[in-house]
Amino acid sequence: MASLNEKVQDVFNEPACDKNQAKGEKERKKGCTKQLTPGAAAGGCAFDGAKIALQPITDVAHLVHGPIACEGNGWDNRGAKSSDSKLYRTGFTTDISELDVIYGGEKRLYKSIREVLEKYNPPAVFVYQTCVTALIGDDIEAVCKAATTKFGKPIIPINAPGFVGAKNLGNKLAGEALLEYVIGTEEPELTTPYDINIIGEYNLAGELWQIKPLLDELGIRILACISGDAKYKEVAYSHRAKAAMMVCSKAMINVARKMEERYNIPFFEGSFYGITDTSESLRQISKLLVQQGAAEDLLSRTEKLIFREETRAWEGINRYRAKLQGKKVLLITGGVKSWSVVSALQEGGMEIVGTSVKKSTDEDKDKIKELMGEDAHMFDDMRPRDMYAMLKECRADIMLSGGRSQFVALKVKMPWLDINQERHHAYAGYVGMVELVKQIEQALYHPVWAQVRKPAPWETEVSEVSEAKAA
Amino acid sequence: MSQSAEKVLDHFKLFREPEYKEMFAKKKAEFEYPVPNEALQHTIEWTKSTEYRDKNFAREALTVNPAKACQPLGAVFAANGFEGTLPFVHGSQGCVAYYRSHFSRHFKEPTSCVSSSMTEDAAVFGGLNNMIDGLANSYSLYKPKMIAVSTTCMAEVIGDDLNAFIKTSKEKGSVPEAFDVPFAHTPAFVGSHITGYDNALHGVLKHFWDGKAGTTEPLKRVENESVNFIGGFDGYVVGNNREIKRIFNEFGIKHTMLCDPSDAWDTPTDGEFRMYDGGTSLEDAANALHAKATITMQTISTEKTAKFIEEHGQEVVKLHHPVGVGGTDKFIMELSRITGVAIPDSITKERGRLVDAIADSSAHIHGKKFALYGDPDLMLGLTGFLLELGAEPVTVLSTNGDKDWAAKVQALFDASPFGANCKVYPKRDLWHLRSLLFTDPVDFLIGNTYGKYLDRDTKTPLIRIGFPIFDRHHKHRYPVWGYQGAMNVLVTILDKIFDVMDADTDGIGTTDYSFDIIR
Repeated sequence: MASLNEKVQDVFNEPACDKNQAKGEKERKKGCTKQLTPGAAAGGCAFDGAKIALQPITDVAHLVHGPIACEGNGWDNRGAKSSDSKLYRTGFTTDISELDVIYGGEKRLYKSIREVLEKYNPPAVFVYQTCVTALIGDDIEAVCKAATTKFGKPIIPINAPGFVGAKNLGNKLAGEALLEYVIGTEEPELTTPYDINIIGEYNLAGELWQIKPLLDELGIRILACISGDAKYKEVAYSHRAKAAMMVCSKAMINVARKMEERYNIPFFEGSFYGITDTSESLRQISKLLVQQGAAEDLLSRTEKLIFREETRAWEGINRYRAKLQGKKVLLITGGVKSWSVVSALQEGGMEIVGTSVKKSTDEDKDKIKELMGEDAHMFDDMRPRDMYAMLKECRADIMLSGGRSQFVALKVKMPWLDINQERHHAYAGYVGMVELVKQIEQALYHPVWAQVRKPAPWETEVSEVSEAKAA
Repeated sequence: MSQSAEKVLDHFKLFREPEYKEMFAKKKAEFEYPVPNEALQHTIEWTKSTEYRDKNFAREALTVNPAKACQPLGAVFAANGFEGTLPFVHGSQGCVAYYRSHFSRHFKEPTSCVSSSMTEDAAVFGGLNNMIDGLANSYSLYKPKMIAVSTTCMAEVIGDDLNAFIKTSKEKGSVPEAFDVPFAHTPAFVGSHITGYDNALHGVLKHFWDGKAGTTEPLKRVENESVNFIGGFDGYVVGNNREIKRIFNEFGIKHTMLCDPSDAWDTPTDGEFRMYDGGTSLEDAANALHAKATITMQTISTEKTAKFIEEHGQEVVKLHHPVGVGGTDKFIMELSRITGVAIPDSITKERGRLVDAIADSSAHIHGKKFALYGDPDLMLGLTGFLLELGAEPVTVLSTNGDKDWAAKVQALFDASPFGANCKVYPKRDLWHLRSLLFTDPVDFLIGNTYGKYLDRDTKTPLIRIGFPIFDRHHKHRYPVWGYQGAMNVLVTILDKIFDVMDADTDGIGTTDYSFDIIR
């Protein structure tokens, strides 16, 4: 078993990552996560990354080994939807105490695993390591191994304590855990030439369900989605898929690549955000499946479906065009790919005045330039203060971003629409884009924005008076 | 028997026991001669139809579930707002028992109020003797500083003359000559509780300003820097008046709360029973004549009083129960204008916080459809706020709102894109509203406690804003005026929206995929 350190190195050395490949030997060793700046605000830790990547597996008991903080603050805070088990939404933690820190928490962990199995009988338990338990030297891998033997159920250690790095690294370590302990451990009842995996899709706000009907119509089966609305066994037998689509490029690239290596499952990187992207992704899926032996007619059936759906979606978007024409949009996205949304917004008549490229690859950036022109306003990670200044200066009509930027937008009096994980509307696929445009229209025309942008009426009067005086 | 001395079941549980269920079923089958179930269902469905609505709206005489109360109720409200004042209703005592219980159920406080207990002989020979005895008894029993007289229908029908009766009573020594006994005729067959409030308040001001029914010289107005504030008939008076006083103090403006029952309807539990507490002092009521201006928060509820004040040379700022940003802006700016005091930064900040809160929650109220009913001024204020929130007040109804009121609501609709599909219904009752909730369904209903039947029948979730609120406690303590008051209204609306959202998604294994922690 590789040590945590080796695993982290291995993850950093990701050959399928174009960014990584562009680096020298020395740089690569340093790793791909940016060094954190002490004192500066930063995002989530590796534990958080691992947890959010795996928590959408619905029927597993997710047991956090650590003090209350780690599970207490993050319990059930993502909108990953389930069509079946709700166990993933129950918060399990060993909630270790001072005495555990002194004497070690392994026994408590072992007992907790036993209790969770007795009470809930899940197909598997995922045990998450955290900073404190890692520091005091609890060997969760050993405990999980012992528990697996004793209880006869897969007890999976997720060794990504917060201090090893940032959220993105945690995503990848979670992927490693799946590769090491889960994928390939079970067999599906039947396989078809139309089985695919979708990797890096979390079914936030039920987005997977907007894509599934399209795949169903084409006769394509999602063998496993990693990890949105997934069951343990689906992930366990996902190695029998014929092809894979990797959705969120930077989070689970190691899973897609290693599954290609080990099980010959070709994959492509695609997105279900945006109309052209959804079409492109459907095409790619069909192409890969046909390459792998599916019947040729899948390609023409796919084209037919794309034509029908695109026509319907553009019509849907067009309905809002009159009210959206010329509106300026600022995009600040995390996981959702900027460029894939850009074209849909442009079709709605809107102008994109700037977009973040924090998690975008060079290829993504090229695409943005292609769509928005050479002088596209792109920016990397941003401090709230800079964001505030930028919002003030660029005079956009609306900002699309994750929840964390919401309050910056509001203070700068800018309409705002949530397009990240806590959102309540699903924006994936064809219907999703129409929904997005509809939501933008709603947000833009909410009367509070006129209110927000006006100073208190007495302040206007005062400034008018003083302006008049100055003149 | 399921009922036993060991474990006595209350009404929530008792009639769910099998023997009662059986008994009810038998009673229905053998004695009630019920229509067949299909016929019943058919009729129920029929009451939801457009055809039924049209018949319902063609009603000419019958009122079903009126959303208003009677004049003397408002008169008692107004009297209760003055220092040491005993509301005295000339007429039958049953009416007064109603007012007292009505207020107690809303404010969860006792309400001091007496009647002249007229009986049949009084109806025949006139109520003079009841007035003479009544004033004498209440004066010696309850030691008030002032007795404010109003009337029930009984006294009005036989045409008792309050002015003359009170004079005679004083001559007969019921109360001392100089004792203040303002009065107002408040027949329930005219107007509603807001009219009664208006008449009674007018009666008090007229008494002090115009020479106490000819017994003293009328006061001469000498303008000072003070501002009068009149809230109107207001179920939130406890919270509202305190909030308004705070706002006056933020400005540093000298003010008189004309009619302030906020202490009388919120006395502490400290071992002392207060028959009277707080209220506008009689001296202040008299001196209110000299104020620079008067602000009335509910113009329709203070029509006569406002006119009276204007006739005495004061400017009256007339508002319609302002709720929300725009409404409160107007109130605050008028306050600043009439006093010449700049709006304090603290108030500007409160405004910013309200706007921030609205923006934070904008998506959830935006586009939601509402039906609302209640007193006309309140309807104007809430309609304005809902439009501000991007909601559609599709149906606005008032039993005691007239055509002029309807035109004002329509003007609000016309000024907002969200008002395009909205309609106002003056002089309609809750049975009309029931039809409308079926034929023009909305997402939420705003109204008083009586709306719970509409909620049950039409499955339109009720947001309780109005008077009376009997089935939820302490709402009257939270202001709805000022920016912070608007915040309370916003939260009240949002709470219901989220409760409904949760209830809609809490089906275990069925809908709970959307039962979320974060909303």
